[in-house]
Amino acid sequence: MSRRDLFTAHSRVAIAGYAQSPIVRHADRPLGAIAVDVARAALADAGLTVADADGFTTGSLLPTAGGQASIDGVSVVTANWLAQALGVNPRFASGFQGYGQIPGSVSLAVNAIASGAAEVVVLHRALHNPPRGRYHANPMTQARGIAQWTAPQGYWGPLSMIALPYNEYLQRYGATREAMAEVVVEARANGSRIPWSFWYDRPLTIDEYLDARLISDPVCMYDCDIPVDGVAAFVFTTAERARDLPHAPVYVGGYAQGHPTRHRLPTHWPLDDIMDTAQETCARLWSHTGLRVQDVDIPQLYDGFSPFVWFWLEALGFCPVGEAHRFVQDGGIGVAKGGLPVLSGGGALGNGRMHGVPQMLECYLQLSQRAGDRQLPQAEVGLACHSSPHFGGAVMYTAHPL
Amino acid sequence: MIANAKPLPAVDETSAGYWEATARGELALPRCSVCRQFTIPPTIVCPACGTTEPNFTYVPVDGDGTVRSWTLVRDAFLPGFADDLPYVLVDVELDAQSQLRMIGRFTDGPDSPIRIGDRVTVTFDTIADGVAVPSFTRSPR
Repeated sequence: MSRRDLFTAHSRVAIAGYAQSPIVRHADRPLGAIAVDVARAALADAGLTVADADGFTTGSLLPTAGGQASIDGVSVVTANWLAQALGVNPRFASGFQGYGQIPGSVSLAVNAIASGAAEVVVLHRALHNPPRGRYHANPMTQARGIAQWTAPQGYWGPLSMIALPYNEYLQRYGATREAMAEVVVEARANGSRIPWSFWYDRPLTIDEYLDARLISDPVCMYDCDIPVDGVAAFVFTTAERARDLPHAPVYVGGYAQGHPTRHRLPTHWPLDDIMDTAQETCARLWSHTGLRVQDVDIPQLYDGFSPFVWFWLEALGFCPVGEAHRFVQDGGIGVAKGGLPVLSGGGALGNGRMHGVPQMLECYLQLSQRAGDRQLPQAEVGLACHSSPHFGGAVMYTAHPL
Repeated sequence: MIANAKPLPAVDETSAGYWEATARGELALPRCSVCRQFTIPPTIVCPACGTTEPNFTYVPVDGDGTVRSWTLVRDAFLPGFADDLPYVLVDVELDAQSQLRMIGRFTDGPDSPIRIGDRVTVTFDTIADGVAVPSFTRSPR
């Protein structure tokens, strides 16, 4: 193991329990009510009570793409809202505002506990699918501020945003949609085995993928995670306290984030911008944790849009840059095929738009030996990747202290 | 207001020089008065030199560039584009400066084969009285 040169709080904070709501298109109850139930369930799962929780954190970004007003407790649930609804006056409550959401939230939870600012932190993520209108549609008649640089041209929203670097990749490396089918079918195969998933019992075939409606070529509908209502919560505490609780602790070994440095038009993500910053994100991850890519048993790659799986495979070094499309076609990923279990938790494509929760949850379930009939034999080190590798980050989890 | 009108740019003090130029059929880009580098869109701190007083001025460029990527849009998420579907958007690196990229409609249409590396030049699409949006067309050989 190489020198661990940055993260002195490794192995000092652990996840002790979790809860996950059903993932549905539109819940029949307010998001805040679901969040309160899920937080209570997560604390109970950890062998704790609401009275034990003295810290709350989340990333409450999105949905904003449709221009809807954001209402706390209804379309988003902030850390402070949740604490108040639970009747807690927390010692620590904070929210991460940037992209990627979960690495930023986990860093808040870990740093709060490692510093002594809190001892039991509930980290939740609440996702909302607005009941009216289309998720990405925007009725603007005037393009104000930075929107005036793209909207009058008809460039709007995350589908064209990901279509441009995806097409850049396809053309540059001679890749095809057939290769992407391997990614999406794998996510859906695993998601179909997860009872709370929107896609439970609904796997996808290669032909269904290839026949799917294109939205912004080469992006088809199955390349995009489906908007949902859903809430997940995780309970973080000190490693010492976690060892006295019912479930095996899963330790945070380190984390890394990245942020694009080139100034661009809004939602313009050229392939080189993604991959250049991705290299930095991943270099930080390895030096931060002292681990190497070969040490990771459960790599959970972000797949809110399918091309991110290729980008993360290359950025992390599972295959050379430009080779991910061949790697997935040659059986490099896939639980049933003996490939890397990069989407063993179903990801976003196999669960619904839970923004990185499936990646985090799968690391927790596998490393705590709680994955049931999906349990993988080798599950000591898990890596949860979130968002684009240039606009998010990754968190390393370990079953034993590093 | 016209039904199904496209969103019009809400011209402000940071963008007036841009939209005045496009209305004349000219592409003028914001250039930092300190380091003389172009930046799209203009912003509070110059990304090239870091000055907090970039005082961007709009300088005409020829609008030639190279296609770095493209997408065929088949679904409209903004008002006013439904009748144009499907349309091609091109991601263009301008000759005016390395890494300087714009996104616009490709006016040659979805049936014109396009490849990364193709040469294009700016053209203008009038979407309302006195409002022209920069688009791109294949450069004459």
